[in-house]
Amino acid sequence: MSPRTTRVVLAVGAPVLALVMAFVITSLVLLAAGDSVADVWAQILSVPGHRAIVNIINAATVYYLSAIAVAIGFRMNLFNIGVDGQYRVASFAAAVVAGEGWLPGYLNTLLAVVAAVLVGAMWAGIAGLLRVTRGVSEVISTIMLNAIATALVAYLLRKVAVDDGGNNTATKQVPEGSRVPGIQIFDDVTVKVYGFVFLAALVGFVYWFVLSKTRFGFDLRATGRSETAAVASGISVKKMIVVSMLLSGGAAGLVGLPLLFGNDYSYGSTFQSGLGFAGIAIALLGRNHPIGIALGALLFAFLDEQSNSLQIVVGVSPDIVKITQGVIVLTVVIAYEVVRRYRVRLEQRQVAAALDEPATIEEAKA
Amino acid sequence: MSDSVTAPPGEVVVRLRDIGKTFPGVVANHDVNIDVRRGTVHAVVGENGAGKSTLMKILYGVQKPDSGTIEIGGEQVNLSSPADAIAAGVGMVFQHFMLADNLTVLENVVLGAEKLHGIGDGARRRVLELAGTYGLEVDPDVLVEELGVGARQRVEILKVLYRGAKVIILDEPTAVLVPQEVDELFDNLRELKAEGLAVLFISHKLDEVLSVADEVTVVRRGTTVDTVPAGSVTSRQLAEMMVGSELPSPATETSTVTDVVVLDVQDLTLYAPGSERRLLDGIDLTIHRGEILGIAGVEGNGQAELVEAIMGMRPGVTGRVTLGGDDLTGRSTRERREAGIGYVPEDRHRHGLLLDAPLWENRVLGHQTRRPVVKGPLVDRAGARTDTQRIVEEYDVRTPGIDTLARALSGGNQQKLIVGREMSGDPVLLIAAHPTRGVDVGAQAAIWGHIKRARRDGLAVLLISADLDELIGLSDTISVLLRGRLVRSFDPEHVTPEDLGSAMTGAAEGDNR
Amino acid sequence: MRRLTKTAAVAGVVALVLAGAACSKKSDDSASTETGGENCVEKTDDMKVGMAFDVGGEGDQSFNDSAAKGMKQAACEFGFDFQTAEAQDGEAESAREGRLQELVDAGYNPVVAVGFAYSASVGKVAAENPDVSFAIVDDAVEGDNITNLLFAEEQGSFLVGAAAALKSETGNVGFVGGVETELIQKFEAGFIAGAKAVKSDIKVQTRYLTQPPDFSGFGDPAKGKTAAEGMFDAGADIVYHAAGGSGGGVFEAAKAADGWAIGVDSDQALTADDSVKDIILTSMVKNIDVAVHEFLKSVHDGAVKTGAQVYDLESNGVGYSTTGDHLKDVADQLEDYKKQIVDGTIEVPTKP
Repeated sequence: MSPRTTRVVLAVGAPVLALVMAFVITSLVLLAAGDSVADVWAQILSVPGHRAIVNIINAATVYYLSAIAVAIGFRMNLFNIGVDGQYRVASFAAAVVAGEGWLPGYLNTLLAVVAAVLVGAMWAGIAGLLRVTRGVSEVISTIMLNAIATALVAYLLRKVAVDDGGNNTATKQVPEGSRVPGIQIFDDVTVKVYGFVFLAALVGFVYWFVLSKTRFGFDLRATGRSETAAVASGISVKKMIVVSMLLSGGAAGLVGLPLLFGNDYSYGSTFQSGLGFAGIAIALLGRNHPIGIALGALLFAFLDEQSNSLQIVVGVSPDIVKITQGVIVLTVVIAYEVVRRYRVRLEQRQVAAALDEPATIEEAKA
Repeated sequence: MSDSVTAPPGEVVVRLRDIGKTFPGVVANHDVNIDVRRGTVHAVVGENGAGKSTLMKILYGVQKPDSGTIEIGGEQVNLSSPADAIAAGVGMVFQHFMLADNLTVLENVVLGAEKLHGIGDGARRRVLELAGTYGLEVDPDVLVEELGVGARQRVEILKVLYRGAKVIILDEPTAVLVPQEVDELFDNLRELKAEGLAVLFISHKLDEVLSVADEVTVVRRGTTVDTVPAGSVTSRQLAEMMVGSELPSPATETSTVTDVVVLDVQDLTLYAPGSERRLLDGIDLTIHRGEILGIAGVEGNGQAELVEAIMGMRPGVTGRVTLGGDDLTGRSTRERREAGIGYVPEDRHRHGLLLDAPLWENRVLGHQTRRPVVKGPLVDRAGARTDTQRIVEEYDVRTPGIDTLARALSGGNQQKLIVGREMSGDPVLLIAAHPTRGVDVGAQAAIWGHIKRARRDGLAVLLISADLDELIGLSDTISVLLRGRLVRSFDPEHVTPEDLGSAMTGAAEGDNR
Repeated sequence: MRRLTKTAAVAGVVALVLAGAACSKKSDDSASTETGGENCVEKTDDMKVGMAFDVGGEGDQSFNDSAAKGMKQAACEFGFDFQTAEAQDGEAESAREGRLQELVDAGYNPVVAVGFAYSASVGKVAAENPDVSFAIVDDAVEGDNITNLLFAEEQGSFLVGAAAALKSETGNVGFVGGVETELIQKFEAGFIAGAKAVKSDIKVQTRYLTQPPDFSGFGDPAKGKTAAEGMFDAGADIVYHAAGGSGGGVFEAAKAADGWAIGVDSDQALTADDSVKDIILTSMVKNIDVAVHEFLKSVHDGAVKTGAQVYDLESNGVGYSTTGDHLKDVADQLEDYKKQIVDGTIEVPTKP
């Protein structure tokens, strides 16, 4: 195998290994609980219908944005656990802005998107500032900010909520003209793919470009790989921490927008929560790589969607899929570490092999 | 100097036969054969990476050999942990001491071996007895944090003896000592062997080896090349056995010092964070075009701080730094690098490289704002790769390619890459902190060659080193740093390592009065 | 290495968060064959009923269970198949829609959605499937094929409020709401009105455990316990909870404080943990089972009533339980209040 092929095989091998391990563990749980392993996998791994495919794409879009937000931090060795809080604060802000409809049509949408990015960035920026000024670990501060976000949004939601006669507490509906139309990909089902799927793709592209092609991206990755080496190379680590937290939070601000403009049209008590945590799992799974994350997001969305009918068809609680997802996160970390160590050894062996020959020749000369 | 060149007495206490150990990709041991006799100091010499450390880890039970046998005191043993080794009478003193600073000497010695003589008077008696027998002078009730390096090392040896070791392994024991302390250590070792112990002494400083050892085993490429009586070889012969080829030396050349000032540092002062203690105290220094200024000093006297202060990596520095008339005071590290400072950091793993990045990305590090590795706001991948290829060729970095991870390279090749990188972009000043530490002899010669060539081309160099030979061989001037102050300057033409050692420990201050 | 440790720790936390929902409740087969009583009829009807639960699902000893009970009774009585599916905490709107559509696709008709979280999705899925009958518990959703099963919780709460005031010795009672939604505010409003009707100067302490969109207040006994303990410490001797699964904590606090607790939704003196059954004074019974049963009967009979179906004291949709006979001495007064509410003499407010 050429080194390049080896590298690709290893890169693909780790997640595959992790998935297999996760499936085995889940099967053991099913066996222990006395449920039919075959039926469960047959349902989960069945070919999704048209409606399910659309739902998977939609859920993956949201997951993707969340995982990218997390990955920006990860590349810097910053653990932004607070994407969850950031996207909820930002979605709420966007919903309020969009619901007010100060600007007409898509200008209103644009304004809401900007508001979401700014609010998300600001919320994450708090953790960044605490880290550089007071040395507070961003893990701790972002977890705390998640709790604060929950309380803050709850408090503000009650201030701005409109009485629609029902029991749902929600912001004003986004005006018709500012909603983002979906894409009809199957004629036989009414569900549509969120128009903001393009936003997610754009964010993924920008992420890839900035990180792998620009000086700024190099600085960010260098800081993530070795803070001490970054300092010695002239990077201002404090500045990088604040900037990357702002970027991570800004991306987190986008997470709720496909839902807001494509389906819910308001932020209320039934707005999807927990996306930030799924994002952490998916970023780990996707190895912080834009394509890897896309595949991870699709996998998680696929498992979610397929689990929905698990209870109806097989009679097993969909909770089993949550177990699978949780186990995947753990096995992925283990598998990547195993593969990383293997790869280092492999390279060392290659280096040793490459060195042996010229060295012997020189020796012979001497 | 060696007073024990007579034929080694005593029976063989440690016998290693056909020891083999493979790690994927790393230089392994194979066909290792060593006999260590009672009452001798047996040196094991070899280049970095030759397999000395692995061998000693095998003997100390840290790693298990894949093949071969170990006999201790005539019996074949199976060492699967250091506890087994200790039980078999093998003790090890590591290069980095493993002592608890906030405990006393006695407590440190007894720690973990409370079962032997308790923790009270019995233990104290035993420690004093051992100290007396082997001439290891220490006060059992003083806190370890108050001890100097040499005394700490004696505590480590005491610890090993207290646990009943008959065979003591010392891993590079002189690396952290100044010459006077080295002499004391050697006196201690002679006491040990006189009392019938066997000492395994790992080193690559050949003069020291010859002065203290009775027998010398040379390790090269994972295997034992030969064992010779210390009296029958010269250090040059030993060195050639180690590398299997001719040796380099850092011999000085004709001076190329000009009168053009490149770096001018005035009254550089740095306080320890949150205290009044000065890590650097009013440093003044000047380096001219084509001059190498060597800084000597025992580690921890402000060398790292001096470098980082000049590089702008430390907050809270006062004083002035000018480079070619350009005032750098208050400028960022990046601006200082852009002004033409190349920096070979002391700890290449922490400060010099992105270990998990390919070589060509490491070429960009520290040059993120300069061609040819960047173009505007973008990283110029092609440019960086081409230039990395150039460094690999010019500086003889042994690697399968520029996509290899930096971690996979040996220390010497990593260092050559760093030196090559820091010489890129036409620097006017090179700060080199321990540029050849932990690299093999071949790489060392190459790095010395590059520094000398750059000096001829007009580079100013600030050289920090713990290797006095290196300092004397390369520098145009040597200044001694002691407790954050530059205390004395020497002309390397007329200085001996002993003179430097006195100045480094502060002994010379008294002499001058 | 440090980085790996950190990554592993974070991964562990995430895995816990993801699996958290899974641990919180034992999953059981949705008992599609189990039926309510002994004298069930043969399965003759080709009607298949789908039921979508709110978070917590079957086994919550409250809201969802009550709906399940009504369906199983009807299944036994009329002989039909049924299937249930449960919501995940914090799921997307599309997941709820998907769940309802799955049930429709699998041939279930009618479909009962339990809880107002389904408001929007029922509206949407019902519009797309005009041939399927839908029912939604606890919310008003318009549609030609949607039946709204609504309850006059304030009326039942009024009666337990009155009972609390009549039985209180300290003149100080408490209300613990799970999540401060409009729905739970109806409970609070009724309770306060009932208590004040008996004793105008009674002190009523009110606490909500969480604010939307944080719905953990419905499933966090620890929070319920802390809130109730505070009330007992401040002098209350009877605390009413409308907090779903958090109510267990309220019961524990009552037990520890030697006070009384009032249960909600179903007769909790029967369903709660054995150790606390004896301190449950009464429960505000919200007969979701009655409503669900009635709805299914109407479908079975081919006479579906769409639109709002309000279950109040008059129709026996809400009420109070008397298990334990703690209310014997005040039964007459309570019946009197009930009559006044039914005949309209007393109008119970729905907002505090």
